[in-house]
Amino acid sequence: MEELKKKIEKLLLKVQRPSRYIGGEVGSVVKDKDKVDVRFAFCFPDTYEVGMSHLGMKILYGLKNARENWWCERVFMPEEDYNKLMRENDIPLYALESLDPIKDFDFIGFTLMYELSYNNVLEMLDLAGVPVLAKDRTELTPLVIAGGPCACNPEPMADFFDLFILGEGEEVNVELLELYERMKPLKPTKQEFLREAAKLEGVYVPSFYDVDYNEDGTVKSITPNVPEAPARVKKRVIKDFDKVYYPEGFVVPFTQIVHDRAVVEVLRGCIRGCRFCQAGFIYRPFREKSIDTIKNETKSLCEQTGYEEVSLSSLSTSDYTEINKLLENLVEYTDGEQINLSLPSLRIDNFSEELLEKIKSVRKSGLTFAPESGTQRLRDVINKNITEDEIMRTCRTAFEGGYSTVKLYFMLGLPEETLEDVEGIAKLAQKVLDLYYETPKEKRGKSVQISVSTATFVPKPFTPFEFEPQATPEEIKEKQEHLFKSLTSRKIRLSTHQSYTSILEAVLARGDRRLGKAIYTAWKKGCYLDGWDEHFKADKWQEAFEECGLDTSFYAHRRRSYDEIAPWSHLDYLVSHEFFVRENKKAHQAVTTRNCKEGCSGCGIKCEYGGVYCGKR
Amino acid sequence: MANAEPKNVNLRLERFEYRAVFSKTGRAKYISHLDLMRAFQRVFKRAHLPIWHTQGFNPHVYIMFPLALPLGTDSRVEIMDFALTEDIPYGEVLERMNAQTPVGLEIVSVSKPEHKHTDITAAEYVARLKTDKSVHEVAELFGKFMALDKIEIEKRTKKKTINLVDIKPHITVLDSKELEDSFEVTLRLPCGSSFNLNVNVVIDTFCERYGIEISEIYTERTKILMANGENFI
Repeated sequence: MEELKKKIEKLLLKVQRPSRYIGGEVGSVVKDKDKVDVRFAFCFPDTYEVGMSHLGMKILYGLKNARENWWCERVFMPEEDYNKLMRENDIPLYALESLDPIKDFDFIGFTLMYELSYNNVLEMLDLAGVPVLAKDRTELTPLVIAGGPCACNPEPMADFFDLFILGEGEEVNVELLELYERMKPLKPTKQEFLREAAKLEGVYVPSFYDVDYNEDGTVKSITPNVPEAPARVKKRVIKDFDKVYYPEGFVVPFTQIVHDRAVVEVLRGCIRGCRFCQAGFIYRPFREKSIDTIKNETKSLCEQTGYEEVSLSSLSTSDYTEINKLLENLVEYTDGEQINLSLPSLRIDNFSEELLEKIKSVRKSGLTFAPESGTQRLRDVINKNITEDEIMRTCRTAFEGGYSTVKLYFMLGLPEETLEDVEGIAKLAQKVLDLYYETPKEKRGKSVQISVSTATFVPKPFTPFEFEPQATPEEIKEKQEHLFKSLTSRKIRLSTHQSYTSILEAVLARGDRRLGKAIYTAWKKGCYLDGWDEHFKADKWQEAFEECGLDTSFYAHRRRSYDEIAPWSHLDYLVSHEFFVRENKKAHQAVTTRNCKEGCSGCGIKCEYGGVYCGKR
Repeated sequence: MANAEPKNVNLRLERFEYRAVFSKTGRAKYISHLDLMRAFQRVFKRAHLPIWHTQGFNPHVYIMFPLALPLGTDSRVEIMDFALTEDIPYGEVLERMNAQTPVGLEIVSVSKPEHKHTDITAAEYVARLKTDKSVHEVAELFGKFMALDKIEIEKRTKKKTINLVDIKPHITVLDSKELEDSFEVTLRLPCGSSFNLNVNVVIDTFCERYGIEISEIYTERTKILMANGENFI
């Protein structure tokens, strides 16, 4: 593709940070395209800086490229300046390794991380010259597929994809590509291939299901229309997590990205069961890697990338069963190599002095905690099992250790929330501030800053709150104003979120197939890069919903009954519906549920999936 | 400079000075100056070369580029200074670095720094452009351009006001050629601590003045020079 490369190079000096659009990074895999049988374009529906920070892409990129005759390449959403130039100069969306147009690939695979990136999928397909609607793509290739957390309710995106991958991708991606490699020489039709693919556990082909609706707009039934499609599609789980594929190296970008460091995954799943948290349920069960595996992966990654920082990734790193032993082992290596070890995702309750000491040896910066709500009662409602004492104890340790900026994350609009709970946020922030002033001067840092950040709660599928209505914009506004009035110190800074993006997120998160039309219409009106405030066009989205005869409050602000058929009810994420109902009822009574470590609460996951605490009552 | 002792006695480590000449071509020409710093930092780390860190409050890897290369310009004569905490032979440093560089970045030589950065006064560039006009026409226009008494450009000062600067006396044309499909010119332009003139500024000013539309451009820095006209090493 010399011709295309020349065209690209002519434009690169006219755009910001051009190194994002030309590849050539250390660790990027270049193969001879005449010697590969399957070409896969891994598309991340957001900019390079965001996408390159995504761990899932690094894993699946390495996994596929480990096969000699498969070639997986990276594709990101170009920024507006380059998007415009590409369109003006007839440059189709291309992959960064070969600079070949992705429309000629066998697979175009997206990862769906976030509802507000959905429209980027349409924009990228269009930029690639590929019809955005699955029904308009009649040839076998390119097969447009998706996975990632949002695939747990992919219904709003059903019109655009040929198939979805549910759950963890390390095994099923290989199975799918192997199937394709076997069938490709037989020149199957797309339908023939999809029918075979539907037999794989974790593969969901949306066109093989008919959805009927009740008069009130709720789902009446979801029925398979081919024999290969199972009535319920199960998500995939890696049973032996310690042996799962992990890349020995990453692609090392030139430009600075969001998480510019080596990342090692230490555990998957979460024992906590916070009722608002989708990740806490869809990644179950809780599995860990052994210390040896983690250490080897850390070493190998640091050596290949040359990064000066390595971060341990998980939903809650301090829940690692042997966290202190793990850190001792790792610090021994990282200190010797002058590498920083960073630990995001720590829980307040088990944040020990010792642990703090270990991360502090790196660099003293801010601490971030997420109490999520301001009062104990509301924390019990959401099953965020931490107490005010624990928060205070941790903050004291932190202040005495010289930390002076504390970020506190909260949610507004939670079920059962009252104005008293909102005031509780202000009170809690004030208490943390008072604690700083009580800390002896010689121990504490120079000047204190407490940041209070509130997000609007978005009910998500596969959580105990999937039945809950989202608070209306009026309610949120009232609460935000109330919180603002309750804060009195200038040392406490408040930031809040835009409300329409939260509504859109809520609509898409629990939406059904009819929303595909609204997504398409909004995209036609120029809506994409919706996750970026400067690009978000609330009015265009509203127009799109109205033109399609869809009511956002039906999806976002309606309480759903326990026996309503959810648009995602044919997808099985292994945690049972009964458990969610039970948890929802307990939430309204402000009764907490113990975590998996304390004892099994019967979420429905079977022991065979390898969970550390599964079946231990 | 070579024997300067770090301020912090506890961290005092012996340092050995190196100067590398490297090339930055192809895909690598789109790496910005800031990103280049990071890229080399990682090269050292991957090569297990014991890079010397600055000894201040917040130690960082000591790598220094005396002269920034404009984004998009190729070069085979770029200079990078760094220090190691061990005395490793030049040839070995070169080999170990080259085993780790990304496509388009290559170490050409490693040696002892001889001259001071402030000795750099000029650089030479080749610019090759394809335009909407015939090669001959562009060549003639360029002759006219260089025959002007004054070539004034707007330059933003640090105070954000705009000054008019005459760049004419700073441009030395060493050669110009009419190639088959493009016009090529070799220029010597001032650079270093006192006055810098970017090759792209010269070309853009030229094209703007005569309404020339560039369809393709190749620029390369070919020499980094000292006041006496010798190569900087």
